[in-house]
Amino acid sequence: MSGIRAVHPPRPSPGWIRYRRIKSAIGWALAGTALLILSVAMVQILLYVFLKGFHSLTPKIFTEDTVGVGGGLRNAILGTALLSGSAMILSALIGVAAGLYLSEFGEGRLGSLTRFLSDVLVGVPSIVLGFVGYVILTVWLRWQFSLAAGAITLAVLMLPYIVRSTELALRRVASGIRESAYALGCRDHQVVFKVLLKAAAPGIGTGILLALAISAGETAPLLYTAGWSNYGWSGHLIHEPVAYLTYVIWSFIGEPFHSAHALAYVAAFLITFVILLINLLARFLIASSPHSRL
Amino acid sequence: MSKLRTRPLVRLTALAAVVLAGLCALAPVPVQARTTHLIETGSTLLYPLFNLWVPTYTATHPGIRITTEATGSGTGIAQAVAGLVQFGASDAYLSPTLQRLHPGLLNIPLAISSQMVNYNLPGLNRRSLRLSGPVLAAIYAGRIRDWNAPAIRALNPGLPLPHHRILPIHRSDGSGDTFIFTQYLSFSTPVWMNATGYGTTVSWPAIRGEIGATGNPGMVQALATNPYAIAYIGVSYRSAILKDHLGQAQLENRAGRFVPLTGSTVAAAVAARAPHTPPDQSISLVFAPGANAYPIINYEYVIVKEHQPSRRMALAIRRFLEWAIAPTGGNAPSFLNRVGFAPLPAQAIRQSRRQIVKIH
Amino acid sequence: MWFRRLLAVFSLLVPLVLLAIAVFLTYYAWPAIHYNGLDFLWRETWNIGNQYANPVHRHGETVMPGARFGILFLIVGTLGSAFLALLMAFPLGLGAALFLSEVVPHRFGHLVSFFVELLAGIPSVVFGLWGIVFLIPFLGHHIFPVLAGMFPFIPFLARPTGSGYGLLTSSLVLCLMIVPFIAATLRDALRSQSTEMREAGISLGATRFEVATRILLPGQKTALVGATMLAFGRALGETMAVLMVSGNALNYLPHNIYSPISTMAAFIVAQLDSALADPTGMAMRSLAEIAVLLLVISFIINGAARLLIGTLKEHTL
Repeated sequence: MSGIRAVHPPRPSPGWIRYRRIKSAIGWALAGTALLILSVAMVQILLYVFLKGFHSLTPKIFTEDTVGVGGGLRNAILGTALLSGSAMILSALIGVAAGLYLSEFGEGRLGSLTRFLSDVLVGVPSIVLGFVGYVILTVWLRWQFSLAAGAITLAVLMLPYIVRSTELALRRVASGIRESAYALGCRDHQVVFKVLLKAAAPGIGTGILLALAISAGETAPLLYTAGWSNYGWSGHLIHEPVAYLTYVIWSFIGEPFHSAHALAYVAAFLITFVILLINLLARFLIASSPHSRL
Repeated sequence: MSKLRTRPLVRLTALAAVVLAGLCALAPVPVQARTTHLIETGSTLLYPLFNLWVPTYTATHPGIRITTEATGSGTGIAQAVAGLVQFGASDAYLSPTLQRLHPGLLNIPLAISSQMVNYNLPGLNRRSLRLSGPVLAAIYAGRIRDWNAPAIRALNPGLPLPHHRILPIHRSDGSGDTFIFTQYLSFSTPVWMNATGYGTTVSWPAIRGEIGATGNPGMVQALATNPYAIAYIGVSYRSAILKDHLGQAQLENRAGRFVPLTGSTVAAAVAARAPHTPPDQSISLVFAPGANAYPIINYEYVIVKEHQPSRRMALAIRRFLEWAIAPTGGNAPSFLNRVGFAPLPAQAIRQSRRQIVKIH
Repeated sequence: MWFRRLLAVFSLLVPLVLLAIAVFLTYYAWPAIHYNGLDFLWRETWNIGNQYANPVHRHGETVMPGARFGILFLIVGTLGSAFLALLMAFPLGLGAALFLSEVVPHRFGHLVSFFVELLAGIPSVVFGLWGIVFLIPFLGHHIFPVLAGMFPFIPFLARPTGSGYGLLTSSLVLCLMIVPFIAATLRDALRSQSTEMREAGISLGATRFEVATRILLPGQKTALVGATMLAFGRALGETMAVLMVSGNALNYLPHNIYSPISTMAAFIVAQLDSALADPTGMAMRSLAEIAVLLLVISFIINGAARLLIGTLKEHTL
């Protein structure tokens, strides 16, 4: 009897290996092309908006209000800051509290319901919120086009983002910290305010900033709630329309006048620039946090 | 550890403070104690005129602010009805149903406008095509499809019309321009009247390649970027049409003659039709009789509520409207000529005044 | 305990807001749901009726004569543009994610993927602006005629190419808006897989591409499907960019991929003013019916995706 022969797995033929290598190379080439296409599109859009906008940028933009289809954008810059700012305050107050509940005490039915529905609310098209805002706030409550109507509609839009990002940020705080705080005899609110919020601050801040960026770029929910005004805000919460930058882009690019186009480009430049800045800031915030996992 | 954690927050707060300070620097408007803010929205046709009026008027009336917005006559009417704006600009008068449902609503003519029928026919834009109501109705109903169709050739003998599909452009928003254009089609073509009728929004027959555009500006852009297209555009956008070297048609009037859009043809139509204006000023000036009358002209209305929330507001509205219709004020040629509008005739001014004094 | 209760009240606000929106919209749209019936979904015409005639009574509701509301053309436009966008975005996002996670060095990959994700931050209306000023003239004059010339035998690619406003343009813009989302989700899912899997694959003699597509990717099937569904949901509900580049078709179905379309979300903005002018209010309530439909769709898609992939992660928000 001959000895046991070593069983070799069938060796793949060199041709077969080459075929697979080529196939892989083609695969990577295609994948790389996909990335290239995306990057080129991204750079093209940004360059286009920045160059066109920068070209029309003058000091007048910041110092004058819009007059018809000319003038500056002071009213719109202030209005966007006001609308998004007040929406942020509103939704951050509610959202952080709700996020706290979900992460700390939300294991029950209410918690999972809220979690599920806020994930659904994220996906509701913003125009649906705008439509409801118009019918309820603008018309039914007779607030007319106003800061209050616009800001509340935006706040509803931002709310689920803040709820969920707050919850996720808090969940990343090591449970040992909580346990030690409770062991030291802290009450719920002391644990939350003195320990958890501090520890999760970068994560919560990032979530709020990203929601702010989203709200600043929105148009559809504001068209029929904030209206439009050629003047800076006069201090009224209701009965007084507010200007905002995205309106200028949407409305003025359709006008056949050069001055209108110039304003639309500048508005697009400003809003894109600010949103990118906020995004960068949010990244920076999360990256500098000791709990960062990104 | 805790210092390290809060640092980003501190930095963020500092940054927010800087941004806020910057915004405050932009903001130092001494808000006048008693400013009245009037909001105008609606007709894109009236919008350029309002934009000429407002800087002049507010310069001499310091307590008044006027915001202007181009949204379409449908919005103008609806938001004036809802009380969201003080002035709803509209190229169309209020429908009888709306007047019945909202008795305190006034439509007050501010000026007279007209409508062009424009086209983008490469090589032929300098020649003024002749078009009639029935031919336009057939184009917009899809029965005439090509530029060299027999019906168009018959109106324009000798013109080298291309064998190319016509792209009809219509307004997709609620529009007074649609209202007067479809009135022209309805009054001149019974088939159109029965099938589609007129209104600020109509159910356009579906045609291959047709384009919906938003506002007069959208119409101009759609026409300029689409060779072989045809569109109806308000006269205040004539400079944009000329700049883009687009064609402008002569239209067949009620007397069966083809007339270009000029000061004298508009004046002839006004003279023929305006004297019939009823006290509430709801009247169509479209398809006026007279050999020299241009067929598509209309009153530019502003829709105002008779009853205003405060006397101050009512006074501000009355004063502005009085100024707007005065031949030495807003109806001065220095304003109207720049948008191609015609001034209100004396009788219409008297009627408008009688309506304006009702605002309280 | 008082503190927990207080927080619970805040957290209750989220379901309440959503419930309020759903109940209110349905209540508001009820006359239209009643008047339009199921025909709403199959009919191809949206006609608010003759505004200058007298209102009539039909099916127990007061409407303007000739008023008929059907949104088949919107459903086709919405599904068509979103589906086409997904068709382009999926391979792009998949390719980019594979390349970023497996080829590009990590440090540099961070930077690139950050830039790609920034694309998601650009506002819809800016995409619309770019679409109107750059993309539409470019596609309409240079790309579409060539495309139609190359494939005259494929029915949906053949002429007429129209103006550039339309289905394909909308889909392209939508694609750019949802790709970053797909790419980011997939890249994270791929990177979360252990190095051992990769090493085991390589030691078995597989190429790195085979490791990525045959070993790593199948493990992330749920993430893939979930991300795709969420991206589809976003494309369905996108408003401003589509409104600006779609050509706002009214009452007809697209006959090829260059044809103008309109989507449900964009239509609400485009027609709100006309609807407001309807003295009977039926047009407004029919628009609300569209909003109800959008709400239901987003409910289904987001709910299903959520059930599929469990709880959402940060950037999937």
